[in-house]
Amino acid sequence: MLQFIVVGLVFGSIYALAASGLVITYVSTGVLNFAFGAFAFFIARFYYYIHVEKEWGILASAAVSLLVLAPFMGIFFYMVIFRFLRLSSQLIKVVVTIGLSVVMPVLAEIIFGNDEIFQAPGLAPQPVSVYKWFGTAVTLDQVISYACVIGIVILGFLILRFTEAGLSVRAMVDSEAMTSLSGSNPSRIAAGVWVVSMMLAGLSGILAAPVIGLSSAKYTLLIAAAFAAVIAARLRSLPIAVAVGLLMGVAGSLVQYYLPPDSEVTANIVPAIPFAFVTISLIVNIIRSGRVNEEEGVGGALDRAITPNGGSRLAASADSENLYPKFNFTFPIIIFAFFCILPLLFASYWLSIFVTAIALAVIFLSYTLVTGEGGMLWLCQITFAGVGALASAQFATEHGWPVLLAIVMGGVIAAAIGVVIGLLTIRLGNLYVALVTLTFGLLMERLVFNLQTFANFGQGVAISRPDFASTDKAFAYLGLAIFAIFAILIVNLRRSTTGLALNAVRWSENASRTMGLSVIQMKMLVSGLAAFVAGVGGGLYALSFKQAVPLDYATLLGLVWLAVLVTFGVRSNIAALVAGFMLLMPAAFIQTVLKLDSPWSLMPVLLFGLGAIGLAQNPEGVVRQNAMGFQRMIHKLSGARAVPAATAFAGRHDPRLRPDEPPPAPEPATTPEETAEVSGS
Amino acid sequence: MSTVEASQPSEVATDTPVLEARNITVRFGGLVALSDVSLSVPSASIVGLVGPNGAGKTTLFGVVSGLLRPNQGDVFLAGKKVTGAAPAKRARLGLARTFQQLELFMGLTVREHVVLGYRVRAQRRRLWSDLFTAGALHPESSDEKERVDHLVKLLGLESVANTAASALPLGTARRVEVARALATGPSIVLLDEPSSGLDGHETAQLGAALRTVVEEEHVSLLLVEHDVAMVLGLSSEVAVLDFGVRIAYGTPDEIRNDPAVRAAYLGDDEAVEGVQTDEKA
Repeated sequence: MLQFIVVGLVFGSIYALAASGLVITYVSTGVLNFAFGAFAFFIARFYYYIHVEKEWGILASAAVSLLVLAPFMGIFFYMVIFRFLRLSSQLIKVVVTIGLSVVMPVLAEIIFGNDEIFQAPGLAPQPVSVYKWFGTAVTLDQVISYACVIGIVILGFLILRFTEAGLSVRAMVDSEAMTSLSGSNPSRIAAGVWVVSMMLAGLSGILAAPVIGLSSAKYTLLIAAAFAAVIAARLRSLPIAVAVGLLMGVAGSLVQYYLPPDSEVTANIVPAIPFAFVTISLIVNIIRSGRVNEEEGVGGALDRAITPNGGSRLAASADSENLYPKFNFTFPIIIFAFFCILPLLFASYWLSIFVTAIALAVIFLSYTLVTGEGGMLWLCQITFAGVGALASAQFATEHGWPVLLAIVMGGVIAAAIGVVIGLLTIRLGNLYVALVTLTFGLLMERLVFNLQTFANFGQGVAISRPDFASTDKAFAYLGLAIFAIFAILIVNLRRSTTGLALNAVRWSENASRTMGLSVIQMKMLVSGLAAFVAGVGGGLYALSFKQAVPLDYATLLGLVWLAVLVTFGVRSNIAALVAGFMLLMPAAFIQTVLKLDSPWSLMPVLLFGLGAIGLAQNPEGVVRQNAMGFQRMIHKLSGARAVPAATAFAGRHDPRLRPDEPPPAPEPATTPEETAEVSGS
Repeated sequence: MSTVEASQPSEVATDTPVLEARNITVRFGGLVALSDVSLSVPSASIVGLVGPNGAGKTTLFGVVSGLLRPNQGDVFLAGKKVTGAAPAKRARLGLARTFQQLELFMGLTVREHVVLGYRVRAQRRRLWSDLFTAGALHPESSDEKERVDHLVKLLGLESVANTAASALPLGTARRVEVARALATGPSIVLLDEPSSGLDGHETAQLGAALRTVVEEEHVSLLLVEHDVAMVLGLSSEVAVLDFGVRIAYGTPDEIRNDPAVRAAYLGDDEAVEGVQTDEKA
């Protein structure tokens, strides 16, 4: 058993280091870094490059990686990106870090090459020394992992408790505004925190390399498990994050000790452990305080007073609000008509990609519903798409149902699961919802999607298109018709009483409840609808390939989808259509027409990642912004009074979005203080 | 502060109070926020609730509206016990409220706030049916239009009716909260510092609007205000809280002359006497 504990503690140490890095950046700067795994991978890959490929010594490689590259990355990304996120909503913060998690592995591939590295050295010299402790073999790599955690905990405690820098950090955690007024420079402190966080990412990345190899996907999964420790720590407690991280590692190892090896049950339980920790910690917290919200206890009164529009209480809202007062349908109709013409123009190869893009666009509409309209930051829409795809393949192929009925049933099953997830997360703050839905997606992927019934040795289950849409051209129009139906449903939703109520719940649950609205019903409604749309979209996606393959619905891929959609605009139906198209077609063009391989074939992914990062500056998304520009141009050409930019695109002038711009001028006879107060409500 | 005349309820209050809080105690850990506080609001009347900062006024509002559960005591709406009822159920029983820290729906326009308030009460079915019946295309009913227009005009919101709530100055935003509360067709409205941030003219306008709804629509109001002059001017009865304890209850005149109240407001005699000042102008 001791041997299992020794191994478990290595994973635990990595979880603990990662959780520490995640917690300190969250409490100090308000950013939960979804790119932590990607940063860890990048620094570990750099370490491998100079240590193994360039044959530098361990100490020199580690010093350059952890004391030069990591601090540089911390300062660089703080200056270029993170400092602009201070007043952004959680949605933007999450998506920007997801964009970084897309960009970093691509950069690593461009710089260091795309060789798969299954075995990489850690900080111990090769061959790795092995010691015997109480009859149990312990490698020097493992000892170094333990020493790092112990050292970091002690060092962290001493710095935070007894140094001026530690005092400044603790002060900023309590109240950034008061820290600023006391003469400390919050920017410098934040930059310092990012430096430390990057160093922790690098350290955990290098320590993880001998255990999991050098694969960006594995790093992201490893850190996704560490999020469980962060949730258990309620995003804020370093000691709890470290303790739970260690405990999770040991628990994962002990489960393998007690359960039979090579059993499917064991294989399923191990990945479920972080989810169990998440569930238990949330239940305990909800029982203790009734609700788990990342905003609780954050900042002082002064911080709340000066945070525009209640700051991240707006959380997953898509930032620029004002409903859709001046927006007309000219632009969307023109774009949709253009898409309707494309199947007539495309040759067969391009048409086959086009039908997949349309199916993807339908799935994207589920993000538009749940995040754009419902204001809920769900990271498992791709899982619902997978549920819809796998279920419809089962109904259609295994049980002989008509395929369209099977797809609808797939949507219904996804909707039922969506409603349950909505119910389970009803008392959670938006960031917790994001983390829980991410963990749920990963769990479904490991426990359900991997079942042989669905996976079929990686081949998936075949599914045939309906007879009337068996050709790509006909199927493209079927997809466009379904897209149009859902888009109209969403437009009707947002402009109806239901939409008003949904909007109300999104902005103030207290006010909604006290005016007689049921917050639970509204959230259930949008959860179920979004999951249904995702399920149907997933079915269409499978039909486009004529195969329902679970691997196509990997949770981490869903993060990229979200980043792409938000880049184009999460509140615009037509943005979903354009995003689906742009995600697939340029990549196919580069590979097929330009015949370019890596790294050029990675350019679309890189651009989407950069686009998502660009949300720090332009949170509204590309399509909606251009649509408004188009609308103003039409007004101008038609001689009508142009829609003023401030009205048509209020978000640009929202101080939440552009801290560097002044807020709109208040009405006469209103003092700036009053405006701040109303914004702060 | 501005002077406002005392309301003269047009209807004789019925025996059963429209709202009654009985022996409410709320503790937050070791802190006793409210201790055995009782209060009742007769039909078609305005009852004021005043007290220094931290007296427990907003906590009492939280208990009455259902956002907080009391450790002891009960809440009754029109004689019906609602202590354990959810806020939405209390709203359906005729309770509405505004918030000291504004809780507007930033994505909606002023008019949409009022429309939603109206529909939640009068056309509740549309919350669901609109989704499946192209509700976005349904025109406003004449009743809805009349009521919404009336409230928008009553609160002086015509010029900003189609403005998003996020673009409103504080004084206007407070009036939107009042309009939204009234749109739900309540029998009682809890107003949490409605004049905070309003200038003298706006305060007077709000006072007149409140009197109108009490007189014409027989709505009762429970009014929390820092503007003591406004409370004493508007209310038929006033309760005074201090450190979670009700230290006085009576007519405005009785409150003005109550030594305990004067002690609680030590150094703020002007406020207690309701002397008009121009500090808000």
